[in-house]
Amino acid sequence: MNKERWQRVNEIFHTALEHDTRTRDAYLRAATADDSELLHEVQTLLTSHEKATKFLDRPAWAVAPDLALGDEGSLVGKRIGSYRIVEEIGRGGMGVVYEAEDERLRRTVALKALPPEYTSDPVRRERLTREARAAAALSHPAIATVFYLEEIDGELYIISELVRGRTLREELRDGPIPPSQLLPVLISIATALAAAHERGIVHRDLKPENIIHRDDGAIKVLDFGLARPIDGSGSTMLTAAGSVLGTPGYMAPEQWTPGAAIDGRADIFAFGVIAWELATGVHPFGSDLNALLAGNTPSRSRTFPVPGLDRIAVRAMRPNPAERYPTAPALLADLEAYHRLPVVPPPYDSFRWWQIHQISVSVVNAAAPAAVWTIRQWAGKPYGSTLFVASLTLAALSVALRLNLFFASRVHPESLMEHRARQFPAIAVLDALLAGSLLAAAAILAGDHDAIAAIFVAFAAVMLASLSLIEPATTAAAGLTRPTPKKKSTIEA
Amino acid sequence: MTDDRQSVNSLLPVVYQELRRLAANYLRRERPGQTLQPTALVHEAYLRLMKDKPNRWQNRAHFCAIAAHSMRQILIERARARGAQKRGGARQRVTLDERLMAGGEQSIDLLALDEALERLAAMDPDQARLVELRFFGGLTVEETAEAMEISPATVKRHWTIASAWLARELEGNSHA
Repeated sequence: MNKERWQRVNEIFHTALEHDTRTRDAYLRAATADDSELLHEVQTLLTSHEKATKFLDRPAWAVAPDLALGDEGSLVGKRIGSYRIVEEIGRGGMGVVYEAEDERLRRTVALKALPPEYTSDPVRRERLTREARAAAALSHPAIATVFYLEEIDGELYIISELVRGRTLREELRDGPIPPSQLLPVLISIATALAAAHERGIVHRDLKPENIIHRDDGAIKVLDFGLARPIDGSGSTMLTAAGSVLGTPGYMAPEQWTPGAAIDGRADIFAFGVIAWELATGVHPFGSDLNALLAGNTPSRSRTFPVPGLDRIAVRAMRPNPAERYPTAPALLADLEAYHRLPVVPPPYDSFRWWQIHQISVSVVNAAAPAAVWTIRQWAGKPYGSTLFVASLTLAALSVALRLNLFFASRVHPESLMEHRARQFPAIAVLDALLAGSLLAAAAILAGDHDAIAAIFVAFAAVMLASLSLIEPATTAAAGLTRPTPKKKSTIEA
Repeated sequence: MTDDRQSVNSLLPVVYQELRRLAANYLRRERPGQTLQPTALVHEAYLRLMKDKPNRWQNRAHFCAIAAHSMRQILIERARARGAQKRGGARQRVTLDERLMAGGEQSIDLLALDEALERLAAMDPDQARLVELRFFGGLTVEETAEAMEISPATVKRHWTIASAWLARELEGNSHA
């Protein structure tokens, strides 16, 4: 039917619908004149319209949920080659995973049935075979071993080591991983990455779902090297599906860019996201993929539950691959160095105490020149005024620097450690000199005004004690001292 | 290069959220307790969209059209792959989930529908687009109207005849 005729059918059809059943026939005959084909066309459409009231009422993915989900139906209880399918143990983008009994070798294995998108195209199939072969060559305690890629009745199945335990995703449902367990878990994952990258195998889809924490505490990374893009070869858009593959939220920015070269640093990015998520219980980018893609690395936080680990996670998550750890062994080395440090999580509000300390000292320092002012006539003309001007200058500088640190701690907590390290020597000298000026005042007063001199000595003693004992304690508790200053600066550089 | 990357970066999440919204939109209209999870489909559609130069999506309407078209491709490709697995490549009818259909039709041949939609496109490209948006994209009448920049009443008119025509085409097909 051509366009014009279809337009005509449309007009007659809609006008006919406005007629009731008694006048409709007469209208149709008049409108179609003696074109019986046109009459038939409209009549059958009207019949179809009345019959099929719910036709296409639901979206396609609801009409065919099995197609939409790629669900080929359960294989449980079936026999595939020499494998007897026992139960379904998981499903993901790459198909359904079953526990199966290998009857030849009498062992229990994991069997993954691959969905047709991966297997229908010969080129993809070839690539998958190659990848499975490479993955099968990987033998590492933290990597679930791939045994075979089986082709049975034209379908592809990946047979691998069955790992029992909870995925890290399941563990995350109970909240963050306790700091004492976290480092060993992260080190295992990094070890697995290092072993795989060494053989040129990139995971590409590392995420908490793909990592199993076995009941005996061992970590097993699943699906190494099997998450390959299913692109390539096809000449039509239909077969050239998906040029990126992975899970949003764990995918490095370069994985979002079609055609970009992907190397092990994409896994390092995913590692950073996972480390952050395991430590805090929340995803570093939340649901805000904008942040991830805009290259907003989450800022280091003084309340990070595992202090210092955020530095490693943030570096792993840098948007530019060149700024991440260059290799998994480099990441591993940093993790292990970190692990050797004693980890003492600061009390939750120790940072607040540090701030209170800064303010208190500022108030006390401001009081010092005021005290000198009250005794200046007793000290005699030149001494009194000189002491007052000196203490006022010292106090003003010290208070200014401390307040500067205080406001920096509120505005840029992430760089406070460096900021404080730069300013503190000056503050210490100013405070010591200020205490010294009080002691000088006490020396002048001694003899004539012993009681007041004693007060000045006590005042100076309190200031010095605060500087040498309390200040280092609050600073360390707030996590503002660095355990290995040299290492830190080289890594951040 | 940087500009290109920037535009990719700013668009992708929007696209992904849009796809999820399409699916979530549908789910919201569903009764609770049903098991359909469109995430997998959405994700795959998204990957497919990625193939296209992202800066080609000028606006929401354009995006919806591509998303719906992607859904169509995925479902048809899968239906075809499944058909090819059966002996001799015999076409398999996709059985409707019976919980979802209170009486009425039992099944729909997605491949036949796809072919019929191509024929409809030859007669009336707008109606074919509309069916794609509504059926494969899961848009409501109002959303479709917005995406096509026509009135909801026009959407309804087009939908009425297009769905009647497709139903008739498929009926003929299924008797064969």
